[in-house]
Amino acid sequence: MEHGVKQFMVASAALDYDAELMLRVKDGDGASFDALLAKYRTPIVHFLYRMLQDQAVSEELAQEVFLRVYRSRETYEATAKFTTWLFRIATHLALNSLRDDKNERGQERLDENTEDAPAREVADRTPTVEERMVRQVKVQEIRRAIAALPGKQRVAVLMHKYEEMEYSQIARVLSCSESAVKSLLFRAYETLRLQLAHLS
Amino acid sequence: MNCPSRSHENRELLADYVAGNLAPERAAALERHLESCVECTRFVEEQRLVWDAMDQWEPQPVSADFNRRLYHAIDREQPARWFERLLGPLWRPVLPLAAACLLIVAGLVLHAPQAAVPVDSRVGVEPEQVERTLDDMQMLRELMVTPAEGEKTSNPL
Repeated sequence: MEHGVKQFMVASAALDYDAELMLRVKDGDGASFDALLAKYRTPIVHFLYRMLQDQAVSEELAQEVFLRVYRSRETYEATAKFTTWLFRIATHLALNSLRDDKNERGQERLDENTEDAPAREVADRTPTVEERMVRQVKVQEIRRAIAALPGKQRVAVLMHKYEEMEYSQIARVLSCSESAVKSLLFRAYETLRLQLAHLS
Repeated sequence: MNCPSRSHENRELLADYVAGNLAPERAAALERHLESCVECTRFVEEQRLVWDAMDQWEPQPVSADFNRRLYHAIDREQPARWFERLLGPLWRPVLPLAAACLLIVAGLVLHAPQAAVPVDSRVGVEPEQVERTLDDMQMLRELMVTPAEGEKTSNPL
């Protein structure tokens, strides 16, 4: 049975183009590594940034993620989706960093600097000053609320919202069951709703 | 439809609805329910607020030198494996064949029968040596000839 599941996973992974690219990296093809880097550099940096809320630390950790991918090329086996493996590495580093003292620096910067995100311009109309201020307050509130979530809840929410991962994939990244992921998300969204309720 | 707000499991249905992850039929059924349920409507509005706030949070762009720093870090790790880089991926499949050829050649060299080394008799022969040899041959000839002649002389009859 277990063997069958593994075979199924291998077959599924065979359809995963990213896993194919990684297998080519394993064979010494540097161009495939470049392609994976080009595709996942921004999602990984942004995921880590939203986790840690510190641009410098998030880029530093993203470098480590890709360095680990490169180092692991010779032992890589396509037994799961490439993105699951990639985000598992990123999550591991992010959760470790959260436990680390460096995270305190991120919290301080969160208080100091609330306007580091570039303004999103709407093509057909310019937001008024009032709208920009409302948006700024919302962003500040959501950043605070997400930063206050426990590590795993934060990972689950960010993967669900921004990476649009299914419950099953989040479960594989976090090495837990789907029901555990649903429970994490339920608690996290409940906290966020309570934190942002005053904005409505 | 059972009210999703009343059960822990079904609340994820409301979150999935806001995330746009529900199939059209289920979404339509939920919308019909929302028309008559204040509690679920409130939940959906609050979830939408969270969702919209999250949408507006955009991180900074990645630094322009991100790749350069990464490749530099990779290069720093490379010297330990300089031989791999030297050989490169193209050579890798040929290596076992080259090793096999080397073994065969080594085997042939070690186990091939030793060929006789031709000796040039003219090389290294001194004139004195030739003269001595000729003297020795003369002496041997005399020794072989002398008894026969002696017999003849001692027995004249």
